[in-house]
Parts: sequence; structure tokens; C-alpha cells
Amino acid sequence: MSPSSCLLEEELAAIRPVLANRLKTTGVDLPLLPVVAHQVLLLSGDPNVDSSKLSALIQQDQALAGQILRIANSPAYAPRSPIVSLQQAIAWLGFNMLAGLAFSVSVQSGVFKTAGYEKEVRGLWRHALATGLYGKEIARRIRHNVENAFLCGLLHLIGKPAILHLTSQTPPLAGRLHSWPVLEKLFDEFHLQAGTALGEVWKLPDSVKEAIRCFPDHLYDQATSPAKGAIITCLADHLASHALGTSDVEEETLRNLQVVRDLNFYPEDMTALLELKESIQHHVECFLS
Amino acid sequence: MTSPHMFDLLVIGSGPAGQKAAIQGAKAGKRVGLIEQTREVGGACVYQGTIPSKTLRESALQMVRFLRATDVFEFRMRDDVRISSLMTRLDRVVRAHGEFMKEQLTRNGIQHLHGRAKFLSDREIDIQHLDGTHTNVSASLIVIATGSRPRVPDHVPIDHEHILDSDSILSLVYLPKSLTVLGGGVIASEYASIFALLGVQVIMVDSADRPLKFLDQDLTDQFCQAFEESGGQYRGLQKIRQVQWDGFSKVTTTLDNGQILESEKMLVALGRVANIEYLNVPAAGLTPTSRGLISVNEHCQTVMPHIYAVGDVIGPPSLASCSMEQGRRAVCHALGLSPGSAPEHIPMGIYSIPEMSSVGLSEQEAIAKHGGAMVGRARFHEIARGQISGMTNGLLKMVADAQGKQLLGVHIVGEGATELIHIGQMGLLHRIQIDSFVENIFNFPTLAETYRVAALDIAKQRRG
Repeated sequence: MSPSSCLLEEELAAIRPVLANRLKTTGVDLPLLPVVAHQVLLLSGDPNVDSSKLSALIQQDQALAGQILRIANSPAYAPRSPIVSLQQAIAWLGFNMLAGLAFSVSVQSGVFKTAGYEKEVRGLWRHALATGLYGKEIARRIRHNVENAFLCGLLHLIGKPAILHLTSQTPPLAGRLHSWPVLEKLFDEFHLQAGTALGEVWKLPDSVKEAIRCFPDHLYDQATSPAKGAIITCLADHLASHALGTSDVEEETLRNLQVVRDLNFYPEDMTALLELKESIQHHVECFLS
Repeated sequence: MTSPHMFDLLVIGSGPAGQKAAIQGAKAGKRVGLIEQTREVGGACVYQGTIPSKTLRESALQMVRFLRATDVFEFRMRDDVRISSLMTRLDRVVRAHGEFMKEQLTRNGIQHLHGRAKFLSDREIDIQHLDGTHTNVSASLIVIATGSRPRVPDHVPIDHEHILDSDSILSLVYLPKSLTVLGGGVIASEYASIFALLGVQVIMVDSADRPLKFLDQDLTDQFCQAFEESGGQYRGLQKIRQVQWDGFSKVTTTLDNGQILESEKMLVALGRVANIEYLNVPAAGLTPTSRGLISVNEHCQTVMPHIYAVGDVIGPPSLASCSMEQGRRAVCHALGLSPGSAPEHIPMGIYSIPEMSSVGLSEQEAIAKHGGAMVGRARFHEIARGQISGMTNGLLKMVADAQGKQLLGVHIVGEGATELIHIGQMGLLHRIQIDSFVENIFNFPTLAETYRVAALDIAKQRRG
């Protein structure tokens, strides 16, 4: 074992029991969902909602309102004329997309704003957004719920920033900047548990909680929701990694994944999804630039 | 020795038609391969069509009965339980049915070949598997049973998110506030009435003056009345100029008369198209019709004598019940087995709310064919069982010849119509006289009494 990996193991050995212990008492320690994000989530499930309600909600958070206007004006959405009001932005982006974005922006700029890891956290959100967007396209192909697939993708890795939050808040870990490789190891070990706990605390829809808990390759067959959020998110997660260059998986390997077969995707289906790569990259950059 | 890729019978598609064709072949001792492009067997009937829509209907009815009982039993149901419960039950029923069918095929020794079929010649088929590899199979007898899928009209941008077809409508995870349904056929009427009953504001739009135009007007009038009582609206004689999602919260439908309809979601149910796009039928010596169907004779035999086509791929009536029989009869014919006498009277069931069913001649058809008709009617509210069960919105219409002697047709609207119709079907098959319904005894109280009441109505007209 090299000296650096010895150090990594030592650091992990110190953090692991503290984190595991914190996760056992999750309800108390996990961050609450920001008020705006929670209300956006409620609104998105309300059939009586109208654009003025969503607009009023977003206006409560000036930073969020600014971000929404910037995204609506971005080249990805190519507005015919400059978007100058939230009402106009809502009309242009569509309610569900906007609600998802408002939720995402509100969460990432609120509870999970962890000093020292801004770049890495941003990477996590890029991946989450790309997964949500791919999830929509997969759901469309198999005629499953598109809105649910987006939300599942957007939140499937919510356990990772939650772990970051916990390590930065928990004594004796607080105040120390852990190396990203150490955190990645912790993510691998704990993010499903942390995400599941966070889903409960945030009272996310059951289908989304199930996707967070069961989206990995070896777990999606345990999911029972008819919405199939877990299996959709599993493939969307792979495609997002491929599109954003965060995994070195070859296209051929991607085409031969078990999840592709379990979704009954033929080579033409995968070709169509892979062809969306640039469009998804473009949308993600516009959202998060 | 037989090659593992050579079969006596190859069936393409595992829906009701294909399944019965395969089973008939296996029962005749033939080596049968069943090619199916999806992982599950059963086809659209199980996963997107007959079974899910009927399960959703049944669940909706049960839920509404349950909600109506809250006043009596003093309980309250959580509002958010509604649609998720409906869909979860639907998923369970579909899975169970799929598993049952898989077992049935295995039990009969039928080889399930998972992949997409493409004709290489009139006896050879290429199967493309999910991983992109191919297998060539051949058979001396081939049955095409690839079914159909929802038609996508050029001018309607179906996105399966806001503007849905009859496959994606089943993916809803909440009830929309409002729904525009394009179409006036069976699928449109079934979903429109289910969603209206669940409290969704539904508007059906179609070019015909009334929905389900092929049915007896007494039935559709009653359907329209019940639909309107649930808050639904039928806009007939309309043409669609444009449909678009407004980008925020509603689908706008512009009619040719300039009127604009708005709804949260839209269901497009403007017919179905046959699944032949991957089949490469010209390689088998077949030419699709101008409507994209495969032409067959009365035995479901194509122009290539050893290739048969059954089910939705040959066009109407597109009923699961008929498709099954077509599959069985086609293979019997091909193998020189007697299929039994051809079905004379095929009942039609529409699983709308209320249910509708029909067998034999309509009043108009009887007049055209026999120069006149006598009609007897029995309304469910006149029958003790109708009152007891609260099923008062129903009608049985019995059609006899001009002398009021011979039974020619039965048409029913109301709960249980698709079951009740079989008495009429048996009556027609055995050439029963109207008086037989008067002279014989039915269980009391039952809805079957409507047959007796309708027959009495005819007898009364005959006398007077």
C-alpha cells in the first residue's frame, strides 16, 4: 500500500464511525428542506396551481429569482425576446421544468452550500440535472411518467451533498477540510443511506424515495413502484456520467449494460438516447453556468 | 436431425392472437417458436390496452363507490391516495396476468424467442436481439400477430408528458384537473368516462355527431347522458386545426370553427396503426394495404398460403376476443384441423362507464335486412335487482323481426352489460324465439330479468 493510500485509509477509519453514528440518528441531524424548495415541491403536485402562485413563491428568494431569469434567457431556451419577468420565464420554461429547477437551485444554494467544496458540489448538481434530463427522455420512450422521472434523476444523489453537510457539521469532523477522494469513498459507502434518510425527512414522494434508495445497478430490481423511477434513473445516471465525461465507460459498454436489456432497449433506442448528449450538455451548462 | 432454428410454426407477436395461435400449434404436436420484441409476453393487450384500461375502470368504480359510502360509514379517504392506489393495483393485475400467460406458454412447450422479427424470405426470419446480435429462424408455417399501437396524427405533437396517447395515459401519477380527449371511438370513450367519473373535467372532441357511432343510438344516448352527469362534455362535428402545449400549464386545442379549448392534459385516441414497420413484409411476398394492414381471406390466410395474419394487424374488429379466435382458427386451417363452426354472432363490449355491449343486428340493420323490426326495451330501474344494487341507469334493447317472433339482436348499456350480453348471444346462436324469454323463469332478483321485460314489451306490441 502506498503512503498516500495509507493516509486515506487512516482518515477514513477516523471519519467512518462518526458518520455512521450520525446517520443512525438522522431525523435530528439532517438539514431541513428549504422553505421555498418545500413549497415548490408541494405546488408541483397541486392540480389547482397557477403561474402567479409559483411566481410569488420564487420571488421570496431574490437569488433564486435571478437564477431563473438567467436560465430562461440562456441560449438553451432561445427566447424569442428577452425574458424580463418571472411570469414570462414560467411561460417559457414550462411549469414542471421550472419547479424542478427552482427546487434544485434552492437546495444547492441553501442547505448544501459547503465552503471549500464549491466546485465539487457543482459537479454533483451537473450530474443530477443531466440524470433528470436523461430520465425524462427514457421515460418518454417507455411511456412512463416523465415528470416523475425528472424529479427522481434530479434527487437520486441527494445523499452525497448530505454527507458533505454532515461531515462539515459533525464534531470532531467539523472545521476540517477532507480530501475529495476521502469524501468520494464515504459517498460510495453512505450516500444511499443518507439519501434515503433525507428523503424521509423531506417527505419526498414515495416513488422518488424509492429511486434514491434503489437506483444502483444491483438494486433497481427491488423497486416496486409502477412509475419505474429506479430503473429509469439507473440508466439515466450512466448516460449522464458518459455525457458529462465523469466516467470512462465506453459507449459499447454502456450499450451492453444489464439495465439497457431490462428496459428492453434495442440498439436503435440507445442510439437515439446517446444522440441527445450534446443537447443535454448544453442544457446543463445553461442551467448551472 | 432438426436444426435448433427450424420450427414447424413461427408466431410473431405474443398478444391474444399470437398466443392462441402458438398454443393451438403446440397442442397439435408442432414445434412452435413465439417471437416477441418485449421482455414480457402478452402484447399491448396486457400492458397498454385491454387489461390496464379495464382494471383502471374497475378500480375507479370501486373507489367512487367507496367515496360515496363515506357519508354512511363516517370515514375519510386521503385525497392523494386516489391515483397512486389505482396505478399500483393496475400494476399488480398486469404483472399477475403476464406471469400467468408466460406459464401457459411454458406449459405447452412453446419456445419464447425474445427479439425483433424481420422477414428475410417467405420462410426465413431474422431475429434482432437486444444486444444487437441476430438469429435466423425458419418455419414452414408463419403467423403474423404483431398487433397495433396508437396512431400519431401529423398535426398533434404527442410528447407523452402533456399530450398523451392511450399508452402514456397510463403513466399518470396524479389526476389532472382537466383533460381533452381527441376521438370518439372505443378507447376515447372508455378513458373519457373513467376520468370524468374520477372528477376530471373531460371534453371529448370528434368529427362524428355522437361517440361510438357504430353502436345503437339508444346506447350512445344513454352513454352521453351519464357522461354529462359526471361533468363530461362531448363536442361532435368538430375538426382540429391545431393542438399545442402552451409551455406552462395547459394544452390548447384550436377547433376549425375558431373555438379554443384549454386543458391540463390531452389524450389523443384517434385510432391505431398496425405494427409492421420492422417486419419487412415485402421480403415475404406480402404487400401492406393502403392503410398499412395485412390483407387476409376468411381463414386469415395471406396471399402466401403458408403465412397467416391475425389480430389488430389485419384491422377491425380489433377485439381481443376475436383476435384469440382468429389465432386458433388460422392454425387449425393451416394444419388441416377442423376449427369448428365459424362464430356467427360476435359480441362487442365497450368498457366505458356505463358499460355497453351489443350482439346481432341493430334496429336499423334489422329493418334493412328483414324489411322491418320490432323493438322491446327494459330499463334497469324497472327491475328489482337494478334498484337493490343502485344500478338504475341501464337499458336492454331487444331487436326482433317485423312480426316480433325471432330474436335478431340485443344491445345493452349499464353495469354488467358485457356479462349480460351472453344470454342474448346464446339466444341468437340457438335461434330462440322472443316468447322463450317470456315463458321461461329467470332467477329473481337479477338483471337477467331485463330479457323477460324486453320480450314482454315486444309481445305487448305484437298483440296490440
